[in-house]
Amino acid sequence: MNAGALLQVNDLVKNFGALRATDHVTLDVQPGEIHALIGPNGAGKTSLVAQLSGHLPSDSGQMFFDGKDVTAMPTHARVRNGLARSFQITRLFKSFTVLDNVALSVQARSGNSFSFWRPVHSEKALTAQSMDVLHELGLQGRAQDPASELSHGEQRILELGLAVATQPKLLLLDEPMAGAGPVESERILQLIQKLRAKVAILLIEHDMDAVFRLADRISVMVNGALIATGTPQAIRLNPQVVAAYLGEEHA
Amino acid sequence: MGSHDYKTPFWVWGLVLAGAIALPLFLHARGMDFYVSMLSRMMIYGIAACSLNLILGYGGLVSFGHAAFLGIGAYTVGILITEGVTNGWVGFAIAMGLSALVAAIIGAISLRTRGVYFIMITLAFAQMIYYLVNSIKAYGGDEGLNIKQRSDFGLGLDLKNDVTFYFVVLFVLVLSLVLISRIMASRFGRVILAIRDDDVRVDAIGFASYRYKWVLFVIAGTLGGLAGALMVNHQNYVSPNLMHWTQSGILMVMVILGGVGTLTGGLWGALVLLILEDVLAEYTLHWQFYVGWFLLAVVLLAPKGLAGLIRRKSTRKGGHA
Amino acid sequence: MTGILLLEQALNGLQFGLMLFLLASGLTLVFGIMDMINLAHGALYMVGAFLTAWLVQLTQSFWLGVVLAVMLTAVIGMLLEATLLRTLYARDHLSQVLATFALILIINESVRMIWGSDLPLSMPKALSGPVELLPGLRYPSYRLVIIAVGLVIALLLYLMVTQTRMGAWVRAGASNREMAMAMGINIRRLFTGVFGIGAALCAVAGAMLGPLLAVQVGMGENILILAFVVIVIGGIGSVWGAFVGAILVGFVDTLGRTLLPMLFRELFSPQFASAAGPAVASIAVYLLMAVVLFVRPQGLFSGR
Repeated sequence: MNAGALLQVNDLVKNFGALRATDHVTLDVQPGEIHALIGPNGAGKTSLVAQLSGHLPSDSGQMFFDGKDVTAMPTHARVRNGLARSFQITRLFKSFTVLDNVALSVQARSGNSFSFWRPVHSEKALTAQSMDVLHELGLQGRAQDPASELSHGEQRILELGLAVATQPKLLLLDEPMAGAGPVESERILQLIQKLRAKVAILLIEHDMDAVFRLADRISVMVNGALIATGTPQAIRLNPQVVAAYLGEEHA
Repeated sequence: MGSHDYKTPFWVWGLVLAGAIALPLFLHARGMDFYVSMLSRMMIYGIAACSLNLILGYGGLVSFGHAAFLGIGAYTVGILITEGVTNGWVGFAIAMGLSALVAAIIGAISLRTRGVYFIMITLAFAQMIYYLVNSIKAYGGDEGLNIKQRSDFGLGLDLKNDVTFYFVVLFVLVLSLVLISRIMASRFGRVILAIRDDDVRVDAIGFASYRYKWVLFVIAGTLGGLAGALMVNHQNYVSPNLMHWTQSGILMVMVILGGVGTLTGGLWGALVLLILEDVLAEYTLHWQFYVGWFLLAVVLLAPKGLAGLIRRKSTRKGGHA
Repeated sequence: MTGILLLEQALNGLQFGLMLFLLASGLTLVFGIMDMINLAHGALYMVGAFLTAWLVQLTQSFWLGVVLAVMLTAVIGMLLEATLLRTLYARDHLSQVLATFALILIINESVRMIWGSDLPLSMPKALSGPVELLPGLRYPSYRLVIIAVGLVIALLLYLMVTQTRMGAWVRAGASNREMAMAMGINIRRLFTGVFGIGAALCAVAGAMLGPLLAVQVGMGENILILAFVVIVIGGIGSVWGAFVGAILVGFVDTLGRTLLPMLFRELFSPQFASAAGPAVASIAVYLLMAVVLFVRPQGLFSGR
C-alpha cells in the first residue's frame, strides 16, 4: 500500500466465466504522474479501466481513491470525487452540438441540475466556460456543429475533452488516440502534456512513441496480470517485457 | 435545447392559439356544441400523449403502461365525486398526487431494467393495476363507474357547459406544453436528452442518470393522471378499459404518429388519429381497417412521423436560436 | 377431494401452458433472431382459429380442417413476412410497434368483414366425453388430446432446433446474426421460414383452443400479452426458455385462478375474498415475471 498514492488498486480480480480478465492486479497512481498501461490486445486493459471507473463490478479486491474506498461506489459518484474516464470507442452525444457536449460536462460540476424552469442556454457562465474548454481543445471553430459531423480524429479530441471538462484529479484515458490521424494525435499528445502535473493520468496506449514520450512510469499487463512496473528506461530493458510485448512492437 | 429541434416561430403559435380560442365560439354560435365536446376529448388525449412523449420521445424510455396513470387519475376523481368530494381543486390535486406516488414506485423498480425488459415491466405493472381496479366491485368493477356531476372548481365555472369545459381543457393543455417546453430547455432537460443518446456516458460525466430518469417518469405519470382527471369529467364515466394495454398502445401510436421527441407531436398525433377515427366511423363500421392502413403508410413513408413530414417541407435552420 | 381438484387443475395448467408455448416459441424466435417486436403475432393465432372454424364447417372434418387451416396460416404468415415485415427488421422498435399495431387493426377488421365477429367451433364428437385417468379423476379427452399435440410439437421443435441443419442456422442466427450472415446462411429465406413456422404454431394453438375459448375477434390480444410474459420469463431467443416459461405461466395462471380464491376464502372475510381472490389470481403471472426479472434480469435461459 503506497501511502501517498492518489489511486491505489489492491489485488483486483475479475472473471468472465473461465476467462480471468483481471488477475490479482495491484497498482498505484501518484498525484500528478502520467502512468502508462501497455500490453498486447486482449490483455485486459480495458476491463481494468472499466472496473476503475465503476462500469464493471469486480469479483474481489479493493480500490482506494484520494483516501476513500471506492470499490463499491457507483460511476457517477466516482466522477464527482474526481475520477473520470474517456472511452476507447467514442461515446459522444451525437444529437448535441460540440459546444453542448462540453457544456454537459461543465454543467455536471457546477451546481444542481435538478433545475426545471430556467433555460440552460441562458446561462452565460456555462457557455463561456464551455467555450474556454473548446479553445483548449482547438475545437472552438466547430462549436455549433453537430458532434456527429466531426471527423473521427476530432471526435477523439472531443471525447478526451468531455472527461477533462469534469475537472478530475485523475483521468483514465483508454487509447485516446485510437483511430486518430497524425495531426489530431499530436494535438491529443500536447493536451495530455498540458495536463501533466495538474491531473494524474492512467493512460492505455498502443503507440509506443507516445508512451515513452509521456510516461513517468509504465506498467505492463499480459493475460490479465501485471508483469512489470517501472520507469520507461527500466521497462525498455526488462527482458520479460521485451519477450512478451516490446519485442514485436519496438524495432 | 441540446438537440436540433426545429423552432416554430412565435407567430405560428399565436395563430394556432387564436384559432383554438375562436373555433369553439364559432361552433357554439352554430349550435354545434357536440363538436366542441369532441375537440375537448381530442385535446385531453393530446395532453396524455404529450405526457407519454416526455418519457418516450425525450427520455427514450418505451413505457407500455402509461394508460395506468390515466386510469389512476380518472378513478381518483371519479371515486371522490361518488363519495361526495366534488371540489375540483381537491380532486385533481389528489389524483395527481396519487399518480405521482404510483409513478415513483413503478419507476423505482422498472428503471433498473433496460430495453425490452423495461417495456415488459411497465406493461406488467399496468396490467396489475388494471386487474386490481377491475376487481373493486364497489366502484363498478368491469362495468365502470358513472359519476353524477363534474368537478367543481368554483370561480363561476360550470364544467357541464361544453364551451366552458373546452376552455378549461385548453388552458391545461397550453400550461402542460409550456411546462414541458421549459423542462426540456432547462438543465434537467439537457441531461435527459443526453441520457437518450447515451446514458452510460452521462454517468461517466458525473450525473446519476437513474435519478434523472426517475424524476422524469414521475413528472410524466403526474401529467398522465391530470389527463385522466379531465377524462372522467368529460365522459362522466370511467372504466378499467381505460387502463388496458391496448390503450397504452394507442397512446404510443399517437406519439409515434405525431413525431417522437417533438413538443407537440403527441398533440397532433392524437388529433389526427381521433379525427380520422370519427370521420371514418361515419362512413363505415370497419373504420379500424382504414386507420390501420393509414398508420402503416405513415410508418413506411414518414419515418419521423407527421412532424418529420412538415420539417422536410420547410427550411431547416439547423440548430437552436 | 382437493387432491383430485389439484390434479385436474394441474392438467389444465399443463394444457394451457403447452398452447402458450406454441405461441411463445414463434414469438421468441422472431424477437431473438430478427430483433423485431411483433404485436400482430396474436392476430395470426386468431386467423388460425377462424380459418379452422370455417374449414371445419366446409369439410365437415375437424382434423382436416385443422391441417388445412394451419397450412394456410403458414402461407399467410410467410407472405406477410416477405412483403411487409421484412422492411421492419432494420427499423427501430417504435416503428415496429406502430406497424404491427396497425397490422392488428387491419387483420382484426378483415376477419370481421369476412366472417363476422365470431364463428362457432366445436370439438370433434369423438372427443367430447371424459376419460377416467385415475379413480375419481375424470378428465375431458379433448384436453388430453391438446396436451398430447402440444407435447408432440414441442418434441418436434426440439428435434428440429437441435438436430437439423435449419435448427443450427436458427441457433446461429439467434446468437449472432451478422456472423450467421457472414457464414453464408441465406438469412432471408431462413427468416421467412422461421416466420412461417411461427405462424403455423399460432394456428395450431388457435385451432386447438378454439373449441374451449370461443373463436372471436380480439382473442389474439388477450393471449399475446401472456406470450410476451412467457418469453421475457424464459429469456428472449430461447425456445427452451419459452417452453419452461410457458409451462410455468400456464400453471401459475390456471392454479392461481382456482386456488387463490379458495385460499382467500379460508383466510379472509368472504367479501374481501370474492373481490381480492380473482384480482390477485389475474396478477399472479405478472408478479411471477417481476420476481424472475428481479432475480435474473435477462430471463431464465437467455443466450444474450
